[in-house]
Amino acid sequence: MAIDPLKTVGQNTPRIDAYERVTGQATYTRDIKLPGMLYARVLRSNVPHAMIRRIDTSKAEALPGVRAVMTHETHKIPYGSGSISGGRQYSDAHKDITTRLRYTFNDHVRYVGEPVAAVAAVNRHVAEEALQLIEIDYEELPFVLDVEEAIEPGAPEIWSGGNIAHDSENRQQPIGGRTGDLEAGFAEADQIFEDRFTTQFVQDAQMEPRSALAHWEGDKLILHTPTQGVSNCRHDTARDLGLEDHQVQVICQYMGGGFGDKNGNYYFDLIAAAFARDLGVPVMVELSRKDDWLATHGRWHTVQDYRVGVKDDGTVTAIQLNGLSGMGPYLRRSGNVAGMDVYACENTEKSILPVHTNRVVSGNFRAPTYPQGYFGIESMMDEVAYKLGIDPVQFALKNMVRPTETKQFTNFTLDQCIEQGAELFDWANRWKPEPGSGEGPIKRGAGMAFMMFNARLGASSAILRVNAEGRYTVYVGVTDIGPGAKTTMSMLAAEELGVPLSDVDIVWGDSDRCPYSVGESGSRCTMMTGYAVVEAARDLKRQIAENGMPQGDSVLIASATPAPTTNGKLREGFGAHFVEVEVDTHLGDVRVTKYVTVHESGRILNPLPALDQIRGAVIQGIGQALTEDLRYDSRNGQPLTSGYYWGRHLTHLDVPQIENVFIETDDGLGPYGAKTVGESGIIIAPVAVANAVYNAIGHRMRDLPITRDKILEVVA
Amino acid sequence: MKDSHDSEVSRREFIGGTGAAIVAANTIPVKAQDRSGESNERAIEDVPLTRITLTVNGTEHRVAVEDRWTLTELLRDHLGLTGTRIGCNRGECGACTVLLDGEPAYSCSTLAVWAHGRSVQTVEGLEKSGRVSKLQQAFIDHNAPQCGFCTSGQLMSATALLQRNANPTVREIREALAGNLCRCSNYNAIVEAVQAATRTGGA
Ligand code: FES
Ligand code: FES
Repeated sequence: MAIDPLKTVGQNTPRIDAYERVTGQATYTRDIKLPGMLYARVLRSNVPHAMIRRIDTSKAEALPGVRAVMTHETHKIPYGSGSISGGRQYSDAHKDITTRLRYTFNDHVRYVGEPVAAVAAVNRHVAEEALQLIEIDYEELPFVLDVEEAIEPGAPEIWSGGNIAHDSENRQQPIGGRTGDLEAGFAEADQIFEDRFTTQFVQDAQMEPRSALAHWEGDKLILHTPTQGVSNCRHDTARDLGLEDHQVQVICQYMGGGFGDKNGNYYFDLIAAAFARDLGVPVMVELSRKDDWLATHGRWHTVQDYRVGVKDDGTVTAIQLNGLSGMGPYLRRSGNVAGMDVYACENTEKSILPVHTNRVVSGNFRAPTYPQGYFGIESMMDEVAYKLGIDPVQFALKNMVRPTETKQFTNFTLDQCIEQGAELFDWANRWKPEPGSGEGPIKRGAGMAFMMFNARLGASSAILRVNAEGRYTVYVGVTDIGPGAKTTMSMLAAEELGVPLSDVDIVWGDSDRCPYSVGESGSRCTMMTGYAVVEAARDLKRQIAENGMPQGDSVLIASATPAPTTNGKLREGFGAHFVEVEVDTHLGDVRVTKYVTVHESGRILNPLPALDQIRGAVIQGIGQALTEDLRYDSRNGQPLTSGYYWGRHLTHLDVPQIENVFIETDDGLGPYGAKTVGESGIIIAPVAVANAVYNAIGHRMRDLPITRDKILEVVA
Repeated sequence: MKDSHDSEVSRREFIGGTGAAIVAANTIPVKAQDRSGESNERAIEDVPLTRITLTVNGTEHRVAVEDRWTLTELLRDHLGLTGTRIGCNRGECGACTVLLDGEPAYSCSTLAVWAHGRSVQTVEGLEKSGRVSKLQQAFIDHNAPQCGFCTSGQLMSATALLQRNANPTVREIREALAGNLCRCSNYNAIVEAVQAATRTGGA
C-alpha cells in the first residue's frame, strides 16, 4: 500500500531539544538545585524476609547535619501503586479493598533492598553516614526465591493466604482463558509436543538513577521526578498522600530513559514529599545505582510449559500454556505472558499464575508481557518445525495469524514482513536445514521470529494555542523519555496546521500546565496523545478560518480529547527478525553477526528516531537473550549481580549493526496512520537469537540468558 | 594531603573568595526540631578540606574541596556544571566521563583532590564561541542521544579519540567508546555520528 507523502511528517527531523542534549544543558531531576534543599538517602533491608522487631535511629538522629529520620514507626504512607497497579489507567478502586497493601516502609520486609528507613541531611555524605548508624533488629523468616517452590504447600508465606498474587478483587486466579475447543484440537493432531522454557528477571536499568525532589507551597506539593507520565504520577501521588489531584504538581522536563516502569509514582516520591512537608524545605531523594537495581522494578521472570498439537502437514491444531510469573513480594503489574495470538490456531488455553517470591519486585519493562512469551512460544514452534522437517519460515507462513471473517485487521502485513525479511537476510543460503552441521569450532546458524503488537487507540488530551504573532503552542503531558515525543508532537501540529515546525513551541512534562496524557508507555503516546494534537489542530484551523488570526493580545485556543475506535477490528504493528550467530564451541561465546528486521508500524512520522527505537530495542533484546540476569544466592537470598557490570550489559563492542526496513502503510487511523514503534523491536529479539543458536549448534537453549556455561554444557 | 587541611581560612571565606558556588550546607535555613543547628554547622566544617587549583574548560578555579568529594561532585554540585552525569557512581557506565589533561576519565571514580594542578574538560567546554563542535553537530544530525543521559560521556570519549586519531575505523570507534554504556542501546547511531565527524566523514 503506497502512502501519500506529507510535508513535515515523514521528513527526517532532528529532535527539537537535541542541542540541549548534546551540550549538557538538558536539566534532569538531579540537576535541579533549590535554595536550602536537603538530601535524603534510603536504608534498605539486607535480609530477604523478616519482621522488624526494633529499629533504633537515635544515633543517626544525633549525627550533626541530620535533619530527620523516617521509618515505618514515624510514617505510615501507603504506596498504592505497589500493590494495585498504579495510575488512573489501572484499578483505582482496588486500593479500598486490597488486603495486601504496601506501605512506603513496612515492618514486615519481604526482599533485600526493601526500604526500611530514610534520612534527610544537609548533604548526601551525611545522609549516607547516618544510614550506617541505624540499628535494626530483624526477626528473620524463611524465604523463597523460586516460583515453583513458592506455591508448594508449606512454602514460606510472604503474605498470609499464600504466595499466589491477588487480582483486583483479592482472588488468586490464573490469568488467561480458553478459545475454541482444546480437546478437539489435540484429538485432531497427529503429534503432540511438550516442552518447558524459562526467562529471567531483567532490570529496566535506565541510565539515570532515580531521584525525586519535593517541595511544598502551602498545601500544594511540587514534585520533580523522572516519570513516563506526569498525569498518572500526579494521580498516584495524590492518592497515596490523601490529597486531591490539584494539590500535586508533577514536573519532568528531561529523564534519562524509562523503559516501562515509570508511568506512575514511586515510593521515593512519597519519601521526598513527606520529608519536605515535615521539614518545610525542599528535599531531594537520591537512589544509588544499587538502590535503583534492587529496589525498583524489572521484567518478571517466567516458567512456561507448552503443549502443542500438530498435524503431519505442519498445521498447528492446539496450543496449551501453563505458566508462572515471578512478581517479587508486591504486585506492581499484571504478570501476564503474551504471544499465543500470533498463531492462527483457534484451540488454545492459557493459564498463568503470578507468584510472590522474596526477590526484587517485578514490573513493566518494554512490551511487558511479550519477550518472555514470544521466547517461549516461538522456541516451541521452532522446535516443532524442525521435528517435522519444515523450514521455520514456511512453518511461520503456514501457521501465523491471518485475517478471517471473525478476526479483521485494520490492515495486515505480517506475511510481507516475513517474506521481505527472508529475502533481505538471504535466509535460503544462511539457514542450515541440518542444525549444528557447521564445521567447528566456530559454528554459524540462522534463526527467525515474527510478531504483532497491539497499536490500540484510546483517549488522551492536547491543547493548542495561537497568538497574534502567529506562534503556535502545543500543550501535551509527555515527558520525552528518549523516543523524541516532543518533536513528534510538534511535527504533528505543524503538519496539520500547515505551518513550518519552527513556528511551533511546546509545553510538556508538567501536570499543571499540560492536559492529561496517557504517558509514554505501551507505545501509545504517538497514537493517542499525537492524535489529540491532530484533532486540536483541526479545531484551531476551523477557528482561524472562521475568525481570522487573533489580533493584539487575543489568542485562539483549541483542545481535543478524542477517543477513536477501530470498529471492532484489530489494529496491530507487525514485524519479523532474522539473525545470524556464530557460536564458539570452545569458549561458549555467542556473537550476533547479522541482524535484519522488517517492521510495519503504519506511517513513520520521524524516520531516524523511529529506526533507532527499533535498533535500540533489538539490542536490549539481544542482551536479554545472551547476558542480562539478576542472580541470587539460594543459601541466603542475597542478590549477586546488581549493576551494569555484574548484570553484564552490552557495550559498543558487543553489538552488531542492525539492518531495519519499515513497510509503511496508512490505515486511516491514528495520527496519519502511525502505529506503535517503541516496544516493537524487543519482542522477538531474544527468541530470534535463541533460534539461531539452535541452528548453529543443534541444541535447543530453553533457559534465558544463553550464557557460556549453558552452551558449553551441551556442546562439550 | 594532611598539610593542606586548612584551619586558618574558613571554608566559607575561601570558597567565597574564589567565586566558586556556595556549598548547600552553608545556606541551609536551620529547621531541625530538636537539635542545635549551630553544632551541625560546626561538625560539618570539621570535614577535612583540601585546597586545590584546577582548570575547568579553560578557567582556573581555586577551591577548597572535601577530601571525600569525587570530581563529579565538585563539577556538578559546586561548580554548577551539571552536564556531567552520574549513571552508577562506581565506574561501570561512563556517563561521568570527562577529559583529564585530554584523556577520558571516569569523574565518579576520580577524587576531586586528584585533579589538583590538572586540566579538566567537560561537555560544557565543547561548544566554542556559541558554536557546537563538529562532533556535537554530528550527534544532533544522527540522533545519537535518545534519552541523552549517556551522551555527555560518549561525546567526551569520542572527542578524545578524534583528537588523537582524526580518521578512526568503526572498530577503533567502538573500542574507544567501549567504556560508555548506553541503556537506550543507541550504539549504532552513536557510532554513525562519530564516523560522520571524522575527517573523511566516515566515507
Ligand atoms: S557514573 Fe562514573 S562510571 Fe558510571
Ligand atoms: S541515550 Fe539513553 S542511555 Fe544512551
